[in-house]
Amino acid sequence: MKFSFNKLFILTAVFSLTLWTSCNIDEIPDPNGTSLEDILEGASASELQTLVTGIESLMGQEIGFYYDVTSIIGRDYWFFTGSDPRYTGELLGREESQLDNAGFYGTRPYFGRYRTIKNCNILLEAVDNAAPGLSAADIAGYKGFAQTIQAYELLLASNLQYQNGIRLDVADPDNLGAFVDYDAALTSIMSLLDAANQSLTGSSFRFSLSGGFAGFDTPETFSHFNRALAARVAVYQGDKAKARTALAESFMMAGGDLNTGPALYFSTAGGEVSNPVFRPTNQADAIIAHPSFPAALDPMDARNSKVALRDAALTLDGLTGDYDVVVYKDLSDNIPLIRNEELVLISAEANIGFDNAAAETALNVIRTQNGLDIYMGATDDASLVDELLTQRWLSLWGEGHRWVDMRRYGRLGDLPLDRVGDDVWEQMPRPVSEN
Amino acid sequence: MKHIFTRMYVLLLAVMLISSTAVAQTTVSGTVTDSDNIPLIGVSVSVKGTPIGTITDIDGKYSLKVPDGATALQFDYVGFSTIEQAIDGSSSYSIVLSDSATELDEIVVTGLATSVKRSNLANSVASISAAELTGVTVPTTTDAALYGKFKGAEIRASSGAPGGGISVKLRGTTSINGSSQPLFIIDGVYIDNSAIPAGLNSVSRASSGGSTSNQDNPSNRLADIDPEDIENIEILKGASAAAQYGSRASGGVVIITTKKGKAGPTEVQFGQSIGWTEMLNPLGQREWTEDRVLNSNFVDAIDEFRAGPINNYEELLYGNKGLLATSRLSIRGGSDKTKFFIGTTYKNEDGIVENTGYDKTSARININHKLTEWLDLSTTTAYINSSADRGFFNNDNSGTTMGISFTSTPSFAQLLPDSEGVYPANPYAPSNFLETAAKVTNNEKVNRLLGGGSATAKLFTNDNNNLRLILRGGIDYYNLATSALFPNDLQFQRDGAGLNGVSVQGSTNNFNSNVAAFLVHSLYTDSGLNFRTQLGLTQESFNRNTILGEAFDMIGSQTNLDQGGSRNVTQTRLLQKDKGFFVQEELNWDDKVMLTVGLRGDKSSNNSDANQLFYYPKASVAVNLHEFGFLPQDGVLSQFKVRTAYGQSGNFPQFGAKFTSFGSTIVDGMAGVTIGSLQGNSAVGPERQTEVEFGFDLGFLNNRILLDATYYVKSVSDLLLNADVPTSSGFTSQVTNAAELQNRGLEIGLNAKVIDGEDFDWFSRVNWWKNNAEVTRLSVPAFTTGGFADFLGNFMVKEGYSPTAVIGVGANPDITLNGTGEPTLQLYGDAEPDFQTSFYNQLSYKDVDLTFLVHWKKGGKNINLSTLLFDLNNTTHDFDDVELDPEGALGNGDYRLSQLGVNTAPYIEDASYVRLREIGLFYNIPKSTFNDLMRLKVGFSGTNLLNFFEYNSYDPEVSNFGSGGLSTGVEVTPFPSAKRFNFHVTATF
Repeated sequence: MKFSFNKLFILTAVFSLTLWTSCNIDEIPDPNGTSLEDILEGASASELQTLVTGIESLMGQEIGFYYDVTSIIGRDYWFFTGSDPRYTGELLGREESQLDNAGFYGTRPYFGRYRTIKNCNILLEAVDNAAPGLSAADIAGYKGFAQTIQAYELLLASNLQYQNGIRLDVADPDNLGAFVDYDAALTSIMSLLDAANQSLTGSSFRFSLSGGFAGFDTPETFSHFNRALAARVAVYQGDKAKARTALAESFMMAGGDLNTGPALYFSTAGGEVSNPVFRPTNQADAIIAHPSFPAALDPMDARNSKVALRDAALTLDGLTGDYDVVVYKDLSDNIPLIRNEELVLISAEANIGFDNAAAETALNVIRTQNGLDIYMGATDDASLVDELLTQRWLSLWGEGHRWVDMRRYGRLGDLPLDRVGDDVWEQMPRPVSEN
Repeated sequence: MKHIFTRMYVLLLAVMLISSTAVAQTTVSGTVTDSDNIPLIGVSVSVKGTPIGTITDIDGKYSLKVPDGATALQFDYVGFSTIEQAIDGSSSYSIVLSDSATELDEIVVTGLATSVKRSNLANSVASISAAELTGVTVPTTTDAALYGKFKGAEIRASSGAPGGGISVKLRGTTSINGSSQPLFIIDGVYIDNSAIPAGLNSVSRASSGGSTSNQDNPSNRLADIDPEDIENIEILKGASAAAQYGSRASGGVVIITTKKGKAGPTEVQFGQSIGWTEMLNPLGQREWTEDRVLNSNFVDAIDEFRAGPINNYEELLYGNKGLLATSRLSIRGGSDKTKFFIGTTYKNEDGIVENTGYDKTSARININHKLTEWLDLSTTTAYINSSADRGFFNNDNSGTTMGISFTSTPSFAQLLPDSEGVYPANPYAPSNFLETAAKVTNNEKVNRLLGGGSATAKLFTNDNNNLRLILRGGIDYYNLATSALFPNDLQFQRDGAGLNGVSVQGSTNNFNSNVAAFLVHSLYTDSGLNFRTQLGLTQESFNRNTILGEAFDMIGSQTNLDQGGSRNVTQTRLLQKDKGFFVQEELNWDDKVMLTVGLRGDKSSNNSDANQLFYYPKASVAVNLHEFGFLPQDGVLSQFKVRTAYGQSGNFPQFGAKFTSFGSTIVDGMAGVTIGSLQGNSAVGPERQTEVEFGFDLGFLNNRILLDATYYVKSVSDLLLNADVPTSSGFTSQVTNAAELQNRGLEIGLNAKVIDGEDFDWFSRVNWWKNNAEVTRLSVPAFTTGGFADFLGNFMVKEGYSPTAVIGVGANPDITLNGTGEPTLQLYGDAEPDFQTSFYNQLSYKDVDLTFLVHWKKGGKNINLSTLLFDLNNTTHDFDDVELDPEGALGNGDYRLSQLGVNTAPYIEDASYVRLREIGLFYNIPKSTFNDLMRLKVGFSGTNLLNFFEYNSYDPEVSNFGSGGLSTGVEVTPFPSAKRFNFHVTATF
């Protein structure tokens, strides 16, 4: 008996040994998501659709930081929070403080834009290796979409980095392209928009876009959005002729609704991204309008609706404000990518020095539609530029334009400083990871 | 691989066959009793230097055939000193065993399958007995019972929240982004010690600002293990001791052995303790005056100040005297064949914040059975059911946690509920924290089953050979249900202020299993040279599945996920399979010289190549100089051992490090995929730790005084870094093997039986240890990590510096992160302490025992952002004291604020402390008092009753980021820690 038991155990041991050595460990694929390799080889149209939707989603991620940073430095509003001192410290240049190249306010909006660009690059690569069944027009449609979005996202990155420059060629993560300076970046962004517009011509959209692109979801109407962006880039470049040409092919409608335009889609439905800039009113943690804005508004001005008087003033870190920012009314409000009001203002800008009467007409469209009387001031170039910058400030307030506008006109020094020792930054530092 | 095993096997069999020779035998017998003359059952009796042995029977009797030439009998029994009895021709030896007088004779479990007598150990292995673990006071969790009880550890509670949350680092930081936490093994079962977040982030938005890290501060799952069940804990602190555990042992290994049955009359023990807990270090609040209000953020609230009254919110929020109650029933007994242990504990503890607390029921059954003379079976089974209410604390970006909203509320705010129980809105913060405490739920419920079994077969035994086969398996299964409820009538949920009610329900199922087989061959030779050969195979698999459902816009007071207007689900799975083998050869020359060499090989699905074997060698030698007989025989120096050990171990890359994958998203009802921020690394491999330790053990006056010292050098190469990649690539990081670090440390222990009298005994132990870490190579640019921002204090990883170096901005910058530019950062010190020391004392006078443990941690920096938040809100308790400003003009608050962004010094603080960790005073009432019916032990104990520190907050022991990575010691409004007081009664029948 004993012997046979012993035998049994030796057998078990030999068995387990054999089992161990004969069994390899199976590679375990990532159980938590689609792998990159899967989608780059033979993607189906439905997989390409998920990439397109992913791009739309990414455009709306980390974007709150973009609007907050540009609006805080541009003195559109302040962000009072007990949770983080940097909003009223570093971003306003309080005392000796400097911007931090590892600070979330600079790194996160920057990364968010490049992550969107990465998803676009993956879409471009996946389209080239897609499963059979896509027509040439379908392929051109994906490309036109992806390149337009890439150009838009690069423009936002460039707005943050300004003279630091940005990288354009980022398709290969292990071999990133060089940084190019601000002017070269704008030139390349413009070429990318032009190339995208070329692709869109005669293409077809084999994919669907969200409600944010309602009215801009066919190759033809999407091209109007593309040209609107081209007009914006052109005035940034100072190329007014190009701006006028682009505007003509955009969706600008001088008499139309100033709010028309494609937008980032936000929703409070399950799993969706909600509007990151919206804050409820009368909170202790709040976005507070810079006092200069309500002070500058005529009581008749419809743009008064962007702010709401608080029940009580709020003070933090030596700053006091009475108005909450209510540019967005709730968590599911969309954020415009570019809207008719900006296009009309671009048209005014593009005509100053070329056709000042046309510029004045465009400015009056803005004034009258917002409930003001027509412009009565001088119509020389300099005066019109002053009026243009004022109207751009009031019309595009809280949408991340003031800082960029004052910078390109060399007027950052005109932005109001609220405490002794505050500074207005010219650009965000290049994120530490890029060095 | 196969041929190696085959060869080993043939070798083993050959050794067994060669070495059997017949010799003449005589029979000896006798009885073994304890000092009270009670027979001891199951004492191992063996002929010294041979495998020949037996165990005592139910009457404590033994009988053994002894070969000619045998010199001595050896008697081993757990918890008692080993005794050697010279064979002098007599045929009967009655032996009295006494409780372990010194640690030297205790048996230390050091390997997967074997144990070693402490006096023969080549490593400094710490052991903690049940008496030290739970004998003084009632610990909340097992890890909380380890503080200060052994050398070489840094143990830190993340907060005072009920239900645990503790990090243990052995001999310094061993990983930067990977885990530095040790592997915990209970009776051979690999147990999961994860900390799984409950999804509070959807309300706190903690990861939406400066830190993307989740700051939910969950408890770690070691908290489930009932410390009362533990017989003994062995701690293998580094690779030289833990190489057998290979790829999982880089943080060290904690081997927990639970209590086992004892042959003899069944012993029933019932214990009840009851006590209370209270805030450890109340800070007080800022005292407001008319002037101070007018010169503060609250200038607009001057009318509220004038109206009064002033409330003590610290007391209202943290002043709960929590009731502590622990009931414990254990039964142990058995025969010489079958022994059992049953232990069950019910614990109910309230926290210092209303509606927080910890409830746990655990039950354990351990059975050992001797099936035949050559086959032993044992099973261990434990079931745990616990529920922890942890409150809503730590960092946020929404101003809503109780801690953060408390910082922004002045004492003249009126937050108390009215007569109908309605809480007013807090005008100074998004949350009325009293309402939050009353209404918010943050609960973790655990159901856990731990089971293990082993079979030990003596395959072959003769006079100088034995071969054992050990088969072992274990499972660790638990379900963790987390529930975070934010009702829609909260200030920060109602009236459009938030998400109109949030319910986050998480469910994690975790199933780990491990099986192993070992062959152990012992060979005893006449020359006194003994060999032990081991061969083992192991396999572990890990499977975790977490589903987290979030619902917003809740219907009324409903909390089910389907009662929300908007829902969101995420699922995270973790799968891993490891296989390993090890071989080891031990050589013992008459207890004079002990030599060990071994090799472990491991492969894992977590490595980029799942079938690549990684090898971890080890070697050690210990020499007992006193055994050679050339020490003076006067007994002054009774033991002198020198030892050295070398070993390697590993640490796996985090799960998923090799994948580049997409996340999922929804836009306008359409599903989308978004590229993940982690760039997969197809070449990622494990970290490799190499440790060398040297030491000596000295015993004086018959080992009444023991002194030991160990110096170690522990290097980690291929260190895993979550290296930042240029974010323009669309990724933020990639896990790479890109650095090396080194820990050097010294550990000294002194044990002394100071007084060993008739009525009065005094045992005392002093431990002292320190560790210095340095990054010795970094192949990516130096970087800062772990905190929120450099100007708020951060940790720096840079070649030549400690991996936990704390930096900030300052007037005298001395650090250039990269290149040769101007220094931009200032070094403020290190989170690692200068040294730690503990002082343990056990005094007994007749039937009264007094035990206390003092723990001193010297140095180590914390980043105290609680003070910063109080300052920003002008509510700091010391805001108006003038102590810090070198000019003597500004109050502390204004001074610190004036330095913000320019000089981080005011927020980087020394985290030294001296604590009376534990104290217990007990009176033993002997059996005779109760007509031999029972023994009774009554007493009082306390935890952290005395605390001395300069640190300007509730407790220097804190960590906003939990136990992960480097960043222990960042404080952001934690759940404050508490003192504990307990009264005890234990009856033993």
